[in-house]
Amino acid sequence: MELSAEGLRHPLAGAVSARQQAGRYIYCVAGANEVLSLGSIGIEGREVHAVVHNDLCALVHDCVAQPYQSDDAQVATAWVLAHHQVVEAAWHRWGAVLPLTFNTIIEAGDGRSAEENLSVWLNTEYQVLRGKLDALTGKAEYGVQVSWAPSLIAGKIAETSPDMREMEEGIRSRPRGIAYMYRQRLESLLRKEMEARAAEEFKELYSRLSRCVDSIHVEKTRAVEEGRQMLLNLSCLVSLERYPDLAAELDRVGSREGFFVRLAGPLPPYSFC
Amino acid sequence: MSRPQVGLVDLLDRVLDRGLLINADIIISLAGVPLIGINLRAALAGMDTMVKYGLMQEWDNGIREAARSGHNMPAPATGALPASVMPPRLEEGVAAWQ
Repeated sequence: MELSAEGLRHPLAGAVSARQQAGRYIYCVAGANEVLSLGSIGIEGREVHAVVHNDLCALVHDCVAQPYQSDDAQVATAWVLAHHQVVEAAWHRWGAVLPLTFNTIIEAGDGRSAEENLSVWLNTEYQVLRGKLDALTGKAEYGVQVSWAPSLIAGKIAETSPDMREMEEGIRSRPRGIAYMYRQRLESLLRKEMEARAAEEFKELYSRLSRCVDSIHVEKTRAVEEGRQMLLNLSCLVSLERYPDLAAELDRVGSREGFFVRLAGPLPPYSFC
Repeated sequence: MSRPQVGLVDLLDRVLDRGLLINADIIISLAGVPLIGINLRAALAGMDTMVKYGLMQEWDNGIREAARSGHNMPAPATGALPASVMPPRLEEGVAAWQ
Protein backbone atom coordinates (compact mmCIF):
# COMPACT_ATOMS: atom_id res chain seq x y z
CA MET A 1 0.00 0.00 0.00
CA GLU A 2 1.32 3.42 -0.85
CA LEU A 3 1.27 5.90 2.00
CA SER A 4 1.18 9.52 0.92
CA ALA A 5 1.68 12.32 3.42
CA GLU A 6 -1.95 13.22 2.89
CA GLY A 7 -3.01 9.67 3.65
CA LEU A 8 -1.05 9.67 6.88
CA ARG A 9 -2.64 12.90 8.08
CA HIS A 10 -6.15 11.80 7.25
CA PRO A 11 -6.70 8.09 7.83
CA LEU A 12 -10.33 8.63 6.83
CA ALA A 13 -9.43 10.66 3.78
CA GLY A 14 -12.65 9.86 1.96
CA ALA A 15 -14.87 10.83 4.88
CA VAL A 16 -12.87 14.01 5.51
CA SER A 17 -13.03 15.13 1.91
CA ALA A 18 -16.83 14.79 1.93
CA ARG A 19 -17.06 16.80 5.15
CA GLN A 20 -14.57 19.34 3.82
CA GLN A 21 -17.25 20.72 1.62
CA ALA A 22 -19.10 21.83 4.75
CA GLY A 23 -17.02 24.92 5.58
CA ARG A 24 -14.96 27.75 4.15
CA TYR A 25 -12.31 29.39 6.29
CA ILE A 26 -12.14 33.07 5.24
CA TYR A 27 -8.89 34.99 5.39
CA CYS A 28 -9.84 38.29 3.85
CA VAL A 29 -11.90 40.16 1.29
CA ALA A 30 -10.14 41.97 -1.54
CA GLY A 31 -11.20 44.18 -4.42
CA ALA A 32 -10.42 41.77 -7.24
CA ASN A 33 -12.38 39.51 -9.54
CA GLU A 34 -9.67 37.06 -10.45
CA VAL A 35 -10.74 33.47 -10.14
CA LEU A 36 -7.48 32.07 -8.90
CA SER A 37 -5.64 29.89 -6.47
CA LEU A 38 -2.85 31.32 -4.35
CA GLY A 39 -1.47 27.83 -3.87
CA SER A 40 -0.96 25.85 -0.70
CA ILE A 41 -0.16 28.82 1.50
CA GLY A 42 -3.05 28.50 3.97
CA ILE A 43 -3.31 27.18 7.48
CA GLU A 44 -1.62 23.76 7.62
CA GLY A 45 -0.72 24.14 3.96
CA ARG A 46 -4.30 24.26 2.71
CA GLU A 47 -4.94 25.49 -0.80
CA VAL A 48 -6.23 29.08 -0.78
CA HIS A 49 -8.55 30.18 -3.56
CA ALA A 50 -10.74 33.16 -4.37
CA VAL A 51 -14.53 33.14 -4.26
CA VAL A 52 -15.55 35.97 -6.56
CA HIS A 53 -18.62 38.20 -6.50
CA ASN A 54 -18.68 41.19 -8.89
CA ASP A 55 -15.39 42.98 -8.33
CA LEU A 56 -14.88 41.52 -4.87
CA CYS A 57 -13.38 38.26 -3.80
CA ALA A 58 -12.97 36.38 -0.56
CA LEU A 59 -9.86 34.26 -0.06
CA VAL A 60 -10.77 30.95 1.52
CA HIS A 61 -9.74 27.38 2.05
CA ASP A 62 -12.09 24.40 2.20
CA CYS A 63 -12.41 22.97 5.69
CA VAL A 64 -14.58 21.00 8.04
CA ALA A 65 -17.22 23.14 9.71
CA GLN A 66 -15.36 23.29 13.00
CA PRO A 67 -13.24 26.03 14.51
CA TYR A 68 -9.50 25.62 14.91
CA GLN A 69 -8.67 24.72 18.49
CA SER A 70 -5.43 23.61 20.07
CA ASP A 71 -3.80 23.46 23.48
CA ASP A 72 -0.42 23.62 21.84
CA ALA A 73 0.85 27.19 21.64
CA GLN A 74 3.26 26.34 18.83
CA VAL A 75 0.49 24.88 16.70
CA ALA A 76 -1.75 27.85 17.45
CA THR A 77 1.00 30.32 16.62
CA ALA A 78 1.68 28.60 13.31
CA TRP A 79 -2.02 28.95 12.44
CA VAL A 80 -2.02 32.64 13.29
CA LEU A 81 1.12 33.24 11.25
CA ALA A 82 -0.32 31.33 8.29
CA HIS A 83 -3.51 33.40 8.49
CA HIS A 84 -1.43 36.57 8.48
CA GLN A 85 0.73 35.41 5.58
CA VAL A 86 -2.31 34.81 3.38
CA VAL A 87 -3.74 38.23 4.28
CA GLU A 88 -0.37 39.83 3.58
CA ALA A 89 0.03 38.05 0.24
CA ALA A 90 -3.41 39.33 -0.83
CA TRP A 91 -2.57 42.79 0.46
CA HIS A 92 0.63 42.95 -1.57
CA ARG A 93 -1.13 41.61 -4.64
CA TRP A 94 -4.18 43.88 -4.63
CA GLY A 95 -3.23 46.85 -2.46
CA ALA A 96 -6.27 46.78 -0.20
CA VAL A 97 -7.77 43.97 1.87
CA LEU A 98 -10.27 43.54 4.67
CA PRO A 99 -8.75 40.88 6.94
CA LEU A 100 -11.24 38.65 8.71
CA THR A 101 -10.73 37.74 12.36
CA PHE A 102 -8.99 34.43 12.90
CA ASN A 103 -11.31 31.40 12.86
CA THR A 104 -14.05 32.92 10.74
CA ILE A 105 -15.61 29.86 9.13
CA ILE A 106 -18.70 30.01 7.03
CA GLU A 107 -20.86 26.91 6.89
CA ALA A 108 -23.57 25.45 4.74
CA GLY A 109 -27.11 26.30 5.75
CA ASP A 110 -30.45 27.62 4.57
CA GLY A 111 -30.29 24.99 1.83
CA ARG A 112 -27.06 26.46 0.44
CA SER A 113 -23.48 25.27 0.43
CA ALA A 114 -20.85 27.23 2.37
CA GLU A 115 -19.53 28.76 -0.83
CA GLU A 116 -23.02 29.83 -1.88
CA ASN A 117 -23.58 31.36 1.54
CA LEU A 118 -20.33 33.25 1.13
CA SER A 119 -21.47 34.62 -2.22
CA VAL A 120 -24.79 35.68 -0.70
CA TRP A 121 -22.91 37.45 2.10
CA LEU A 122 -20.61 39.24 -0.40
CA ASN A 123 -23.67 40.29 -2.35
CA THR A 124 -25.62 41.53 0.69
CA GLU A 125 -22.65 43.42 2.13
CA TYR A 126 -21.31 44.57 -1.21
CA GLN A 127 -21.68 48.33 -0.68
CA VAL A 128 -20.22 48.26 2.82
CA LEU A 129 -17.26 46.08 1.83
CA ARG A 130 -16.56 48.08 -1.31
CA GLY A 131 -16.67 51.33 0.67
CA LYS A 132 -14.27 50.01 3.29
CA LEU A 133 -11.84 48.70 0.69
CA ASP A 134 -11.83 52.00 -1.17
CA ALA A 135 -11.19 53.88 2.07
CA LEU A 136 -8.23 51.62 2.89
CA THR A 137 -6.49 51.72 -0.47
CA GLY A 138 -2.92 52.98 -0.19
CA LYS A 139 -2.94 52.80 3.61
CA ALA A 140 -1.19 50.56 6.10
CA GLU A 141 -1.51 49.88 9.79
CA TYR A 142 1.33 50.59 12.18
CA GLY A 143 1.65 49.81 15.85
CA VAL A 144 3.22 52.72 17.72
CA GLN A 145 4.45 52.35 21.27
CA VAL A 146 6.13 55.00 23.37
CA SER A 147 7.81 54.11 26.64
CA TRP A 148 9.89 56.03 29.13
CA ALA A 149 12.49 55.21 31.74
CA PRO A 150 10.63 56.09 34.95
CA SER A 151 13.73 56.23 37.16
CA LEU A 152 15.37 58.76 34.86
CA ILE A 153 12.21 60.88 34.60
CA ALA A 154 11.65 60.72 38.37
CA GLY A 155 15.21 61.85 38.94
CA LYS A 156 14.70 64.84 36.68
CA ILE A 157 11.45 65.79 38.40
CA ALA A 158 13.06 65.56 41.83
CA GLU A 159 15.96 67.74 40.65
CA THR A 160 13.84 70.50 39.22
CA SER A 161 11.12 70.79 41.86
CA PRO A 162 12.04 73.28 44.65
CA ASP A 163 9.67 71.51 47.08
CA MET A 164 11.31 68.18 46.50
CA ARG A 165 14.82 69.57 46.75
CA GLU A 166 13.92 71.08 50.08
CA MET A 167 12.64 67.72 51.24
CA GLU A 168 15.81 66.02 50.06
CA GLU A 169 17.77 68.50 52.17
CA GLY A 170 15.49 67.69 55.09
CA ILE A 171 16.18 63.99 54.74
CA ARG A 172 19.91 64.51 54.84
CA SER A 173 20.03 66.88 57.82
CA ARG A 174 17.37 65.39 60.12
CA PRO A 175 17.52 62.54 62.63
CA ARG A 176 16.45 59.15 61.27
CA GLY A 177 12.83 59.17 62.49
CA ILE A 178 12.07 62.57 60.99
CA ALA A 179 14.04 61.72 57.85
CA TYR A 180 11.83 58.70 57.35
CA MET A 181 8.73 60.92 57.39
CA TYR A 182 10.32 63.24 54.87
CA ARG A 183 11.19 60.27 52.68
CA GLN A 184 7.55 59.10 52.74
CA ARG A 185 6.28 62.53 51.81
CA LEU A 186 8.84 62.85 49.05
CA GLU A 187 7.87 59.53 47.52
CA SER A 188 4.18 60.33 47.64
CA LEU A 189 4.81 63.70 46.00
CA LEU A 190 7.01 62.13 43.34
CA ARG A 191 4.40 59.49 42.57
CA LYS A 192 1.75 62.15 42.02
CA GLU A 193 4.12 64.17 39.85
CA MET A 194 4.96 61.13 37.75
CA GLU A 195 1.30 60.34 37.19
CA ALA A 196 0.56 63.91 36.22
CA ARG A 197 3.56 63.97 33.88
CA ALA A 198 2.54 60.67 32.26
CA ALA A 199 -0.99 61.95 31.66
CA GLU A 200 0.41 65.14 30.12
CA GLU A 201 2.82 63.23 27.91
CA PHE A 202 0.07 60.87 26.82
CA LYS A 203 -2.19 63.72 25.73
CA GLU A 204 0.60 65.57 24.00
CA LEU A 205 1.88 62.47 22.18
CA TYR A 206 -1.60 61.42 21.15
CA SER A 207 -2.35 64.86 19.85
CA ARG A 208 0.89 65.18 17.86
CA LEU A 209 0.82 61.65 16.45
CA SER A 210 -2.84 61.74 15.53
CA ARG A 211 -2.10 64.68 13.24
CA CYS A 212 0.29 62.48 11.21
CA VAL A 213 -2.10 59.58 10.63
CA ASP A 214 -5.42 58.89 8.96
CA SER A 215 -7.07 57.02 11.78
CA ILE A 216 -6.10 55.95 15.27
CA HIS A 217 -6.96 53.43 17.99
CA VAL A 218 -5.72 53.71 21.55
CA GLU A 219 -4.69 50.27 22.81
CA LYS A 220 -4.08 49.19 26.36
CA THR A 221 -0.52 49.71 27.47
CA ARG A 222 1.33 46.56 28.36
CA ALA A 223 4.30 45.54 30.41
CA VAL A 224 7.58 46.18 28.64
CA GLU A 225 11.17 45.39 29.46
CA GLU A 226 12.60 45.99 32.92
CA GLY A 227 13.21 49.64 33.70
CA ARG A 228 10.76 50.94 31.13
CA GLN A 229 7.11 51.79 31.29
CA MET A 230 4.77 52.06 28.33
CA LEU A 231 3.06 55.43 28.13
CA LEU A 232 1.18 55.04 24.90
CA ASN A 233 0.17 52.15 22.67
CA LEU A 234 -1.53 53.04 19.41
CA SER A 235 -2.67 51.37 16.24
CA CYS A 236 -2.48 53.87 13.43
CA LEU A 237 -3.78 53.80 9.89
CA VAL A 238 -1.29 55.68 7.75
CA SER A 239 -1.36 56.59 4.08
CA LEU A 240 1.81 56.41 2.05
CA GLU A 241 2.02 60.20 1.80
CA ARG A 242 1.72 60.75 5.53
CA TYR A 243 4.20 58.10 6.63
CA PRO A 244 7.23 60.44 6.48
CA ASP A 245 5.41 62.84 8.86
CA LEU A 246 4.78 60.03 11.32
CA ALA A 247 8.36 58.78 11.08
CA ALA A 248 9.71 62.31 11.65
CA GLU A 249 7.47 62.83 14.66
CA LEU A 250 8.52 59.50 16.15
CA ASP A 251 12.18 60.33 15.56
CA ARG A 252 11.63 63.51 17.52
CA VAL A 253 10.03 61.60 20.41
CA GLY A 254 12.71 58.92 20.36
CA SER A 255 15.49 61.49 20.56
CA ARG A 256 14.22 62.80 23.90
CA GLU A 257 16.25 61.58 26.86
CA GLY A 258 14.55 58.67 28.63
CA PHE A 259 11.99 58.10 25.84
CA PHE A 260 11.78 55.03 23.61
CA VAL A 261 9.75 54.49 20.47
CA ARG A 262 8.73 51.23 18.85
CA LEU A 263 7.11 51.14 15.43
CA ALA A 264 5.61 47.89 14.11
CA GLY A 265 4.53 47.68 10.51
CA PRO A 266 3.51 48.05 7.81
CA LEU A 267 0.61 45.69 8.47
CA PRO A 268 -2.65 45.03 6.65
CA PRO A 269 -5.37 47.15 8.26
CA TYR A 270 -6.55 44.62 10.88
CA SER A 271 -7.72 47.30 13.30
CA PHE A 272 -9.44 49.52 10.77
CA CYS A 273 -12.04 47.43 9.02
CA MET B 1 14.34 55.33 15.71
CA SER B 2 15.08 51.77 14.71
CA ARG B 3 13.68 50.25 11.56
CA PRO B 4 10.03 49.20 11.92
CA GLN B 5 9.67 45.53 12.71
CA VAL B 6 6.67 43.32 13.22
CA GLY B 7 6.84 41.02 16.21
CA LEU B 8 4.78 37.98 17.05
CA VAL B 9 2.83 39.87 19.69
CA ASP B 10 1.87 42.54 17.15
CA LEU B 11 0.41 39.84 14.93
CA LEU B 12 -1.30 37.81 17.65
CA ASP B 13 -3.11 40.84 19.02
CA ARG B 14 -4.37 41.79 15.62
CA VAL B 15 -5.15 38.46 13.99
CA LEU B 16 -7.01 37.19 17.07
CA ASP B 17 -8.72 40.36 18.25
CA ARG B 18 -9.18 42.49 15.19
CA GLY B 19 -10.27 42.07 11.63
CA LEU B 20 -13.70 42.08 10.14
CA LEU B 21 -16.41 40.30 12.11
CA ILE B 22 -19.25 38.64 10.30
CA ASN B 23 -22.41 38.71 12.35
CA ALA B 24 -24.48 36.13 10.58
CA ASP B 25 -26.02 32.73 11.27
CA ILE B 26 -23.81 31.18 8.63
CA ILE B 27 -20.71 31.64 10.80
CA ILE B 28 -19.76 28.73 13.02
CA SER B 29 -20.43 29.60 16.60
CA LEU B 30 -20.66 28.10 20.05
CA ALA B 31 -23.76 29.06 22.04
CA GLY B 32 -24.20 32.20 19.99
CA VAL B 33 -20.69 33.51 20.66
CA PRO B 34 -18.42 33.44 17.63
CA LEU B 35 -15.62 31.05 18.45
CA ILE B 36 -12.89 33.37 17.38
CA GLY B 37 -9.57 32.92 19.05
CA ILE B 38 -11.03 31.96 22.41
CA ASN B 39 -9.42 28.55 22.61
CA LEU B 40 -6.42 29.74 20.76
CA ARG B 41 -5.87 32.50 23.25
CA ALA B 42 -6.04 29.99 26.08
CA ALA B 43 -3.35 27.99 24.30
CA LEU B 44 -1.21 31.04 23.75
CA ALA B 45 -1.53 32.29 27.31
CA GLY B 46 1.46 30.15 28.24
CA MET B 47 3.58 32.30 25.97
CA ASP B 48 2.90 35.41 27.98
CA THR B 49 1.95 36.33 31.49
CA MET B 50 -1.44 35.45 32.90
CA VAL B 51 -1.88 39.12 33.65
CA LYS B 52 -1.79 39.87 29.98
CA TYR B 53 -4.14 37.03 29.24
CA GLY B 54 -6.65 38.49 31.68
CA LEU B 55 -6.25 41.96 30.21
CA MET B 56 -6.63 40.73 26.67
CA GLN B 57 -9.79 38.83 27.42
CA GLU B 58 -11.42 41.79 29.11
CA TRP B 59 -10.32 43.99 26.27
CA ASP B 60 -11.45 41.47 23.66
CA ASN B 61 -14.92 41.25 25.19
CA GLY B 62 -15.18 45.03 25.17
CA ILE B 63 -14.20 45.23 21.51
CA ARG B 64 -16.59 42.47 20.49
CA GLU B 65 -19.41 44.09 22.44
CA ALA B 66 -18.69 47.34 20.65
CA ALA B 67 -18.60 45.55 17.30
CA ARG B 68 -21.95 43.92 17.92
CA SER B 69 -23.56 47.23 18.80
CA GLY B 70 -22.01 48.81 15.70
CA HIS B 71 -19.57 51.16 17.49
CA ASN B 72 -16.38 49.65 16.23
CA MET B 73 -15.33 52.56 14.07
CA PRO B 74 -12.00 54.07 15.05
CA ALA B 75 -11.83 57.68 16.08
CA PRO B 76 -11.12 60.10 13.25
CA ALA B 77 -7.62 61.45 13.60
CA THR B 78 -8.30 65.06 14.52
CA GLY B 79 -5.69 65.50 17.22
CA ALA B 80 -8.37 65.76 19.90
CA LEU B 81 -8.45 63.04 22.50
CA PRO B 82 -11.83 61.28 22.63
CA ALA B 83 -13.52 61.69 26.01
CA SER B 84 -13.59 57.93 26.43
CA VAL B 85 -9.81 57.64 26.27
CA MET B 86 -8.06 57.72 29.62
CA PRO B 87 -4.36 58.35 30.07
CA PRO B 88 -2.35 55.39 31.34
CA ARG B 89 -2.21 54.48 35.00
CA LEU B 90 1.21 54.11 36.42
CA GLU B 91 0.76 51.54 39.14
CA GLU B 92 3.43 49.26 37.76
CA GLY B 93 5.81 52.13 37.33
CA VAL B 94 5.54 53.22 40.94
CA ALA B 95 7.28 50.04 41.93
CA ALA B 96 9.75 50.52 39.11
CA TRP B 97 11.11 53.85 40.27
CA GLN B 98 10.68 53.64 44.02
